[in-house]
Amino acid sequence: MEFKQVVGNRRTIRFFDPSRPVEEEKIQVMLEAANRASRAVNADFAKAIVCYRDELTDDVREKIKTPTTTVQIDLAPVTIFWYGDTSFVNGAQGRLKELVDLGALPVTHGWTHAYVDDLVYPQVLEPMSKDQLATVWAVSVETGLAIAQAMLAGVDEGLGVGLHAFNAAGAKDVLKVPDHWVPMWILLVGYPAEDAKGGGQRPRRPLSESFYRGQYGNPWQEIPQVTERLKREGMIQEPMPADATRRMAEIRQLADRFGLPL
Amino acid sequence: MAQDIGSQASVRQWEAGTGLSREPPEVREQKLRILADFCAKVEKEPDELVAFCILRKKATGERFLSVKRREMINDWLEEFAAEQGWAGKQAVVNANVVRSFLIHNGVLIQGRVWRG
Repeated sequence: MEFKQVVGNRRTIRFFDPSRPVEEEKIQVMLEAANRASRAVNADFAKAIVCYRDELTDDVREKIKTPTTTVQIDLAPVTIFWYGDTSFVNGAQGRLKELVDLGALPVTHGWTHAYVDDLVYPQVLEPMSKDQLATVWAVSVETGLAIAQAMLAGVDEGLGVGLHAFNAAGAKDVLKVPDHWVPMWILLVGYPAEDAKGGGQRPRRPLSESFYRGQYGNPWQEIPQVTERLKREGMIQEPMPADATRRMAEIRQLADRFGLPL
Repeated sequence: MAQDIGSQASVRQWEAGTGLSREPPEVREQKLRILADFCAKVEKEPDELVAFCILRKKATGERFLSVKRREMINDWLEEFAAEQGWAGKQAVVNANVVRSFLIHNGVLIQGRVWRG
């Protein structure tokens, strides 16, 4: 699938086909996409534990639910628990020097082994690693990048995906994650039982409401031809119609299939 | 009994939210019957059942949903389904009728899923 189509096709799927298994090969594609994500100091910020639904007992699934993560976790064949590793500074010097040696961090930009040892590590990375707020910020951003790539790779593989909160305390006992892993999100994966397009793209505000040129207050001006091209290439798709009759009928049908409350 | 509970505010809210009044009469009657029977089991009127799930903080008076009480409701629903002799999808669907009533009255209670 073309990249723009993948971005355009992604929806948060909440009704998965519980009986259609997800191929482990496709999960590996998602993990590899995460592994290829941009990352500071070439650290492995993103950690994940893949659980097939039946590897988690009913009791465990109940424990990891939150007010917003409910029956979708019972329907999804796969749950990927994402964590961020706060020990990213460990080995950072070695990884940076490796990138210097490979020419990824070039001397033209000031990179040498001495620069790593005398400046980057002691003056930037080490203090940052001792600042809890900065650490959680960095870990969250970096892990988010990896999760996004995994999610889009899943869509590219024809799967449905949905990112949700989870009860980390409930999961920790079962998953046995180390204390220096910070819980991020769970990514639910499966084949959609609902329309894979979810009835249309969710409402989005125009670019000018969030993006600026030069300084805050000077909104980005959309180039109409680009917007039209993105519609043709599938990144911008038909939004969910204001008349939700069809979607509501689909939800009713899904509720009937899965015995869910309406 | 099913007729009796129809006048309760919480039942009217449920009916309005879920469009129960537009269902065929026998479906509406069946759902009201399930709710009425459950209420009889736990010895609470529908309005009382909703109030039971919503507590107020002593310090601020702020309303909050009681997790423990929702767990109690789920336990009661399991018992109720067993007592009624429901099994399989019927047990899930019928217990979720009561959960639907609570959801439409602002009580977040998570429905069970029938996966077949």
